[in-house]
Amino acid sequence: MKAIITISGLLFALFLGIAWIEGGKTPTPLSFVVPRNWPKPKYDLTSNPLTREGFLLGRKLFFDPRLSIDSTISCGSCHQQFAAFSTFEHNLSHGVNSSLTTRNAPALQNLAWQSDFMWDGGIAHLDLQPLMPFTAPNEMGETVAGVIHKLQQDADYPKMFRAAFGSPLINTQRLTKALSQYMLMLVSSNSKYDQVMRGEATFQLAEQLGYDIFKQKCSSCHKEPFFTDLSYRNTGLPVDETLNDYGRMTITGNPKDSLKFKVPSLRNVMLTFPYGHDGRFFSLLNVFDHYRRDMAVASTTDSLLQHKLPLSNYEIGQLTAFLQTLTDSSFLKNSMLAPDDNVPLPPSMHLHGT
Amino acid sequence: MNSITKQLFRFPLLIWLALLPLISFETHSSRPVTIIFKHKMGDRELQLFNETYTNPFGEPIIITRFKYYISHLSIAGSDQKETALSDKTFLIDESDPHSKTLVFTTPVTAPQSLSFVIGVDSVLNISGVQTGSLDPLNGMFWTWNSGYIFARLEGKSDSSHAPAHLVNWDAGGFRPPYNASRKIKLDLLNTTSPVITIEADLVKWFNATHAIHIAQSPLCHQPGRLAMQLADNYSTMFSVAP
Repeated sequence: MKAIITISGLLFALFLGIAWIEGGKTPTPLSFVVPRNWPKPKYDLTSNPLTREGFLLGRKLFFDPRLSIDSTISCGSCHQQFAAFSTFEHNLSHGVNSSLTTRNAPALQNLAWQSDFMWDGGIAHLDLQPLMPFTAPNEMGETVAGVIHKLQQDADYPKMFRAAFGSPLINTQRLTKALSQYMLMLVSSNSKYDQVMRGEATFQLAEQLGYDIFKQKCSSCHKEPFFTDLSYRNTGLPVDETLNDYGRMTITGNPKDSLKFKVPSLRNVMLTFPYGHDGRFFSLLNVFDHYRRDMAVASTTDSLLQHKLPLSNYEIGQLTAFLQTLTDSSFLKNSMLAPDDNVPLPPSMHLHGT
Repeated sequence: MNSITKQLFRFPLLIWLALLPLISFETHSSRPVTIIFKHKMGDRELQLFNETYTNPFGEPIIITRFKYYISHLSIAGSDQKETALSDKTFLIDESDPHSKTLVFTTPVTAPQSLSFVIGVDSVLNISGVQTGSLDPLNGMFWTWNSGYIFARLEGKSDSSHAPAHLVNWDAGGFRPPYNASRKIKLDLLNTTSPVITIEADLVKWFNATHAIHIAQSPLCHQPGRLAMQLADNYSTMFSVAP
């Protein structure tokens, strides 16, 4: 009996010793700064505390094409930083084996303030989001098990998982939490518009006139400060007969949701063209012409657009000047969000707005 | 051995000794309950791949996969008060014999009924990625309309007009009005036995509240009306074996 107690005591001491050594390598917390006057994030940061190590792991995963079945496509292939993490100049985003998706990859920004993802809102949590592109045959074409297996075989990843989560275990939860840590940091809050709102800059005349028109005609759906109210609306886009994408109805099964899609944010809108869920509009002028002339108004078209959206050429000119103020070059060029970055990350990433 | 090292060894020892009586106390106050799930098709024991069964509409089927989630397991004594057996969600899988036996302990001494939900709590559908039985890796998860598949019956049938004559019935969904989780309550026959055997009869999938023909509905891959009808049907498949 005495021997058993001694052995268990020794094991316990050993455990304490290991815990003490491991404890010396706790990850460095990374602070998440909520820009001034912005609401509280919807993402529960206590469930996935941001750390420098978790962020760096997430960033490596985001830009690693090995996560696709044939090592050709990473998250970053369709979500390019210089296009506010949308696909630059492509209407439909591409997948493995020269496949095409049925949608235009949306910009990734300010995701901490969203609770539903995709154009149809089908994905109910940021951590769940990567599972879809991993496994969709026309995106990355992998299996979750396949992704995890590749990471386990890699020389660096087990070390990085250990640094971020305390042990080299790689599972679905850790993989997706790391990706979320990177994606949560994609905060765009330093455009000229933001600087004007903070009193650090002033609009030129055309920008100010455009802002006034915007508040009158656009902001009930493209609501500040995110420039979307995150609702699903039918804006009179006739269905494309080759895609047959009915949007929100596919998720809810409710005919009233036919052809409803999430209101996209207009932040960095000059870089996120083509526009629309299927990228059918190649320029802002195409979008304006849709609203003032081409809309197919039907029973499920949004109530605010039952008479289309009259816009004069003059208004379009001023609106365009205003929309240019939503470009946030400090976000588009932030080297800490870029792949293969050698700039050391400070303990607290600098985000504007405090 | 210097005094600090001695202290280091003595301290955990003390905790160890202090915890020992607690552990024995815990096991003393509760009794074990073992729940065994058995799957059958009518009066025949379920065999994956090897057997051809006939459903109530005369349609043949070879079953290749059968699994479902069980949650909110609880037991009630004569006072009808439900006491949880576990807060976990279990994946019962015909192809994994270990998954079909669940062992718990309960303070309820004379259980009269057993209840559980076939499905996954809606909170767990919207709280990020889970681990263990709920790891999306287990293939019981829809990624594009995110949420768990609650129950899955798959096979082949000459009556199916789907590609490769497949029958794929994946039922689930947590968003109203198509929440496919169903609560099941079973009265126990023998209140003294520590082993409860539950039989699930797959015939009910085809014909219970609704008549669901393979020829008409060979595929269910999303939440919606068909998933709700399948859930209505399979929620009646359980009975307590004598």
